[in-house]
Amino acid sequence: MAPHPPTRPPEPTGPGSPQDMPPAPGQHPLDPSKLPQPIRDELVAPDPAAIDTSAKELRDGLNHCPKCGSTEVRQRPGSDRLICLYCRHEWTATRVEEAFGLGEGIADLRGTQIASGARDIAADAASLRSFKCDGCGAEVVINTDTAMTARCHWCRHVLGVNEQIANGAVPDAVLPFHIMKDDAVTRIRQFVNKRRLFALKAFKDEFTPENVVGVYLPYMVVDARGSADAAGLGEIETRRYTRDEGKQKQTYYDADVWRVQRHVEFTVDDLPLESSAKRGNLDTRTNTHNVINTILPFDTKNAVKWNASYLVGYTSEKRDRDVQHLMPRMHEQMLSIARAQMQPSVRRYDRGVRWERERMDLKGTRWVAMYLPVWLYAYHQPEPGGGLLHYIAVNGRTGETMGSVPVQQWKLVLAALSIGTVVEALALWFIAR
Amino acid sequence: MELHGDAILLLLALGPAGAVGFYWAMYRHYRNTDKSHAFEHETTVEVLALTGAEADRKIDEIRGTRSPRIQGDNVGNHRQRVQPM
Repeated sequence: MAPHPPTRPPEPTGPGSPQDMPPAPGQHPLDPSKLPQPIRDELVAPDPAAIDTSAKELRDGLNHCPKCGSTEVRQRPGSDRLICLYCRHEWTATRVEEAFGLGEGIADLRGTQIASGARDIAADAASLRSFKCDGCGAEVVINTDTAMTARCHWCRHVLGVNEQIANGAVPDAVLPFHIMKDDAVTRIRQFVNKRRLFALKAFKDEFTPENVVGVYLPYMVVDARGSADAAGLGEIETRRYTRDEGKQKQTYYDADVWRVQRHVEFTVDDLPLESSAKRGNLDTRTNTHNVINTILPFDTKNAVKWNASYLVGYTSEKRDRDVQHLMPRMHEQMLSIARAQMQPSVRRYDRGVRWERERMDLKGTRWVAMYLPVWLYAYHQPEPGGGLLHYIAVNGRTGETMGSVPVQQWKLVLAALSIGTVVEALALWFIAR
Repeated sequence: MELHGDAILLLLALGPAGAVGFYWAMYRHYRNTDKSHAFEHETTVEVLALTGAEADRKIDEIRGTRSPRIQGDNVGNHRQRVQPM
């Protein structure tokens, strides 16, 4: 029997799903000025600030210290440098962008190019790896599902997984944490302070942002070249007039209907895609992974060559998706980008455009596996049927913060009913007048 | 001021609409279920060629419609997939 192709969970659709266009930052569907003071205070409180790294070029590593040979190598907090804790020697890691020429030649990409760390995961590759310690010869086991380094329990040498093994645990590059734990805690606190009034009581009681964990999550960062076509109808308003119908005035429109067609050829630089099946499932009915998706993008241009020393003190999640699994999603995002690029060219159709047919032709793609840094705070809301895990995520580079705060339903319903009653009373008063 | 029947109904609907609207907006503010990576705008995109505007043709005229936008307008909703070409 032929093996079944891997199945993807059905994409969530409809209101509230990440298939919807997200609202612009800072935009709120309600006008806060018309709401009661405590609610207004929450809504207008500032969001945690995010650093824009798009223009910032940061200068940006071996497990043995090149100077003294010690393995006590750590990332220097807040920088992309590595420091030897034994002799205090510091050195910079190589940025993959320059080492492998990842920023160049996107306009000439052909076919599917896959970096060595993004190769298909071997079906028989185990997560548990055992290493012979250089120092004393003991066997040390590392579970690559969650960690990439371990200390030899005999001689205290630090061992790291540095060679690329076919289980998806070793990526091509890593983007070291810049946002420190204290900073992440402050941001999470600020984020939750904006959402306290209707938050679940148990969540507020148990809120301990100090429990935040630094995690390296697996992503595929893709460069692509493609062309897209779209066809549909557009309308231009030619006349607008009002007619009296009984006691009401009604506005009518005349319009010209145009057949519209666009073709766009474009390149995309560093599009990040979740390469873990769990994290890539953005169904908001069953999980809150969409908030981790929201803190993208990262300044992936500054990613450095893989070195396990960056992961000391942090946990990591292993990649379990190959390029072929991510291709449909990539294709769809490319199509969305193409449609966004076409929008300015159809501005003259002031009554809008209804695209009816579309096509995406991917000419070339380049896939690089990366570990990207995320601070994660989690709260499990118990509910019949398993409950829901609420995340608050902080981008470990830019500080962008997004989260899901569980709601005390009766409180929110009561507030909504109160506001509805006041509005209704005003309406009745107006009618009776 | 004399109020029309439709206008009264509309005013009466304000209360329930206000309640539902408030619940929906606050739920989204707390749970952020509508947020996702805005990759359309947050990714570096370089357009090499954008063509087709010269082939746009007027095919029809509409007179006296009450709708201010084209039916099924999706020019701003880039993630809504349509029929493959």
